[in-house]
Amino acid sequence: MQNSQAAKVTAPSQAGRAGGESQYLDLFRSERALIDAHSLPELNALRDEAAATFERLGFPTRKVERYRYTDVAAAFAPNYGLNLSRLRIPANPYEAFRCDVPNLSTSVYFVVNDQLYKEALPKAKLPEGVVVDSQLRSARLDGQPSTLAPDPITALNAMLGQDGLLIYIPAGVRVERPIQVVNILRSAVPLMVNRRVQIIAEAGAEVQLLFCDHAADDQDFLATQVVDVQVGEGAHVEIYELEETHARCRRFSNLTADVAAGGHLTHATLTLTCGITRNQTDVVLSGKGASVNLYGCAITDGQQHVDNNTLIDHRAPGCQSRELYKYVVDEQSTGAFAGRVLVREEAQQTESQETNANLVCTPEARMYTQPMLEIYADDVQCSHGSTVGQLNDDALFYMRQRGISEAEARLLLKQAFASEVINQIALVPLRDRLHYLIDKRFRGELSHCTSCRMCGKGKI
Amino acid sequence: MLEIKNLHATVGGKEILKGIDLTIKPGEIHALMGQNGAGKSTLSNVLVGHPAYTVTEGSVLFNGKDLLAMSPDERSHEGLFLSFQQPVEIPGVSMVNFMRAALNAKRKYQGQEPLDATAFLKLMRERRKIVELDGKLANRSVNEGFSGGEKKRNEIFQMAMLEPTMCILDETDSGLDVDALRIVAEGFNKLRTPETAAIVITHYQRLLDYLKPDFVHVLLGGRIVKTGGPELAMEIEQRGFDWIKNE
Repeated sequence: MQNSQAAKVTAPSQAGRAGGESQYLDLFRSERALIDAHSLPELNALRDEAAATFERLGFPTRKVERYRYTDVAAAFAPNYGLNLSRLRIPANPYEAFRCDVPNLSTSVYFVVNDQLYKEALPKAKLPEGVVVDSQLRSARLDGQPSTLAPDPITALNAMLGQDGLLIYIPAGVRVERPIQVVNILRSAVPLMVNRRVQIIAEAGAEVQLLFCDHAADDQDFLATQVVDVQVGEGAHVEIYELEETHARCRRFSNLTADVAAGGHLTHATLTLTCGITRNQTDVVLSGKGASVNLYGCAITDGQQHVDNNTLIDHRAPGCQSRELYKYVVDEQSTGAFAGRVLVREEAQQTESQETNANLVCTPEARMYTQPMLEIYADDVQCSHGSTVGQLNDDALFYMRQRGISEAEARLLLKQAFASEVINQIALVPLRDRLHYLIDKRFRGELSHCTSCRMCGKGKI
Repeated sequence: MLEIKNLHATVGGKEILKGIDLTIKPGEIHALMGQNGAGKSTLSNVLVGHPAYTVTEGSVLFNGKDLLAMSPDERSHEGLFLSFQQPVEIPGVSMVNFMRAALNAKRKYQGQEPLDATAFLKLMRERRKIVELDGKLANRSVNEGFSGGEKKRNEIFQMAMLEPTMCILDETDSGLDVDALRIVAEGFNKLRTPETAAIVITHYQRLLDYLKPDFVHVLLGGRIVKTGGPELAMEIEQRGFDWIKNE
């Protein structure tokens, strides 16, 4: 573990036993003053509690139910550097990056590694009172009230995290233009980044958010992120997360959301390319008539690993939840989905639907699926199910009889399978763009980020 | 244009075709009749290269080329078309994308440039009319939610798009009411030219009333046991197959 950026490495490296929790704890203890000096005060206030929690919990082993599908300790074992003194990357992402979602006009912000890029900001003005800035409000270690035990990765993120991104929409404000946050990983040495995001939509507010993850350097990256979402009464929030990184990236994202009465949250996580990705999404429906849609689509091949773990906690009557996750798992890759829907005694008239469908393309590919429904109320409509299958041979032959090559027929069928998730996306230009990106992904033409010029490899 | 010689084929290790000989010339329509299990659908599946069927003996030449050496998509490009007995539903693949992929693959095989989107959609509109296929169906996923009649009309529509020279209609009349049968049969007749030929598999005379076959073959136990003109189909309609078995 190092405090580093490029050559400026201060390295209490691998002190104590190699890897494991100790390298992170040792770094934290020896560099505490430096960390605090370059951090938001709200994060410094959390740090002692975070470190104690992380030390107590340690990395979850496979025996921890929610982490049984991902080897966390292995992902955190390599000796990544951290940019604790917050040295800036010189390039201006506004010049280097061109958003290539046609017909989609967004207010674009950049987070380079885990720092909000503030030297330049989008030209478009946000509505009065809307904040997108490097600050946090009333930060709590575990984000929203959750049913869960404290999470070790959330604790680790809070122990080492230094910057925050606040997206705040005041009551009644409708943000017309989607807000886009582009997370770019840049480094010449192996790097760990810790992002913390807080999204607050007050009563009646409406906003669409698009987070795009890119890695601009062919380097080992470990990114943790903690996202805390508060959806106020009658507010409407859509969050789209699109990951297009590469095989040397590890992503651990923990999102918690609280949806108040009559509020709505749509969250979609689309993993096109990655190394190891684990997304944990916990939603509490805390007010009457709140609703949530969770969508996920993962396309994996090579040695990729994608693990989506969700919890929807129905705590109030008359709430609705809908979940649809689809995976196309190819070559030797691994997919995992575990989704728990909890309907508490007081959550009468709950409507809940959970679906996980998977296409496993080779004998070596693995898919783990675990939909869970726990109901303590007696007047509810709930369903859950999962399928794991292969491409339909009859459909393949039908297409080949019409002259479509086997490769092209397989591609069309995979696309068709994934498109069910993409078609749920309300942001039409993004939906069109995703159909295009998924086509490129299945054709193997998405090995580098397509929308970013920073690495010079992307093509626009 | 199609020469089948001593064709033997198995499915799941069981021999179904036991020596088929059949020669078809341009412009001809050959009706293939026979009871269930006689090998009619097996013959059509073998000709289009279905992977579940294994040819154990014999040869098939199509326009002088070895048909059995070609992949299913190559056979299609060469002009062979099967109207499926049970057309497959493909959720999520639109008719437009499906037909464009098929047509442009054929054009590529023939060394032609792909059709641009405008020309392609215009062609789709024109050809749809041949079988009175609703524009809305063309915008849906392939065969998804189509009625039995719509699926069969969709088969003939695809035939109109791809302009094959050798068509196999595998019980295209099954599940069709009188009006749908007329539309499908008349659609097929509009697509006929002196260069095209067809094998028509059917149990019933009514389709043959429209298509007017030149030859009628009766398949029994994996062999063609009787060949005649259109009058043979009439006779089968009246007397069934048992008298042929006893001959």
